[in-house]
Amino acid sequence: MIRFFRLSFAIAAKDIQSEWRTKEALNSACSFSIVVLLMFSFAFDPGAESTKEFAGGLLWLVFMFAGSLIVNRSFSRELPNDCLDVLIASPVPPAALFLGKAFACFVLLMIIELISIPVFGIFYNITWWRQPAWLAVALGLTTWAMSVIGSLFSALTVNLRLRELMLPMLLYPMLIPALMGAIRLTSLALANEPIAGEDLVWLKVLVAFDIIFTSLSLALVDFVLVR
Amino acid sequence: MDERNFTYMFYGFSVAWGIIALYAIGLLRRQSNINSQVESLKKMVDGKR
Amino acid sequence: MRDKLLTATAALAGIMLVWNLKIILTVLPDEVAQGAIYRIMFFHIPGFFTAGVCYIVAMLASIYYLWKKDLRADALAMAATEVALPFAAVNLITGMIWGRIIWGIWWAWDPRLTWALISWLVYFGYLMLRKAIDDPSERANISAVANIFFFSSVAITWKAIVWWRTQHPGPVLSIRGADGKLDAGVERMIYQNWIPLLLLAIVFISIRIRQERALRELDAMRRWAHAG
Repeated sequence: MIRFFRLSFAIAAKDIQSEWRTKEALNSACSFSIVVLLMFSFAFDPGAESTKEFAGGLLWLVFMFAGSLIVNRSFSRELPNDCLDVLIASPVPPAALFLGKAFACFVLLMIIELISIPVFGIFYNITWWRQPAWLAVALGLTTWAMSVIGSLFSALTVNLRLRELMLPMLLYPMLIPALMGAIRLTSLALANEPIAGEDLVWLKVLVAFDIIFTSLSLALVDFVLVR
Repeated sequence: MDERNFTYMFYGFSVAWGIIALYAIGLLRRQSNINSQVESLKKMVDGKR
Repeated sequence: MRDKLLTATAALAGIMLVWNLKIILTVLPDEVAQGAIYRIMFFHIPGFFTAGVCYIVAMLASIYYLWKKDLRADALAMAATEVALPFAAVNLITGMIWGRIIWGIWWAWDPRLTWALISWLVYFGYLMLRKAIDDPSERANISAVANIFFFSSVAITWKAIVWWRTQHPGPVLSIRGADGKLDAGVERMIYQNWIPLLLLAIVFISIRIRQERALRELDAMRRWAHAG
């Protein structure tokens, strides 16, 4: 068990390190999310009071778009030089490999989110730090959901033609339950409204989503990563 | 029978029958396509012999 | 023999559909508030049930494939998913026509409708995913995993009217614990119209599986012919 986690952390560290050296996906995803934020400002009046109501939704759309760039690289990064075949043939169990990839995705996505949120706050005139704990909870749980499902679908589509197109098409609909919860909680946290009563259901939805899909992915990944 | 909204009910029924019929037609066309492929392959094999 | 059985089943389904149509239009009582439009539900609900059965079959076949690596199960999963889509489309479009009259709008973004649409889209994505992979066993592996994931959207669609207060009507059938909301004859008719749709789905699925097998054999024959 400890060996399992050591191996997956090794994979995650490898991924993050290689990403940190080139910053290929990080740079493009960051600039992409800022461009999307810029484009949204033309779709409606960014200064209007009503903007605060769908600020959460806006933010998560940006994260989804930018996130698909990151998760897409998760497994396809191993394609050159047949690294993926070597990784699968190595004594690392597929579940540990997958978990490591998901950890790496989580860290990279978090970096992008932590850069985008202040930019978002400046552009759309939103004071986002008033409920930092709730914001962190929503970010953490949903980013983990994105990383887990994203990594699994990245593994599914890694050898496909039209990979860049297929991944978002399969990924986005699957993420909608988590996204609904994330948007609700984030909107409340940004608007500095209390999160209680019926809204706590969304917290449960997020937690349940994470648990169900993490275990489902770990159970099924053995069938995906075989050669 | 109550005649209110009868036209829209009619549209709904035709859509339901229509979609199923369209799918069935698509299936049959694919079948004839496969059959013709088999035929042409048979001819090719016979010609070679 | 198989051909005759399939033709007979399809013919039986056709006769039942026409017979049901006659009862729906002439025998069944009217709905006080809605007028004739309520009769759409005799296709709306059985359409979803048929699609749902196909989705369940596809999910079970996918699990069986991962367990036994039997390519026939993969073909069944593909055929069932493909056949589910037209029936789910019947469900969605008849629902929209009903909504146009009763709600005044074609589409409401409530969880039930949204998730029915999501299911349709993800299963359509499943079929596209299959087209993008050439190697048969890799395609079967990957699409089986994807299919199991996608089934979650069907489960959410089924439970949506219980979990949320939706604009879509809540449970009306007695199998979902809503006794007495529908006239007994009306409720019986929903199941009675489901049977022919289910029969048609079975016919479609078996034709589709046979086509897939024929295509595989054709491929093998062609390779053999060109080699020899």
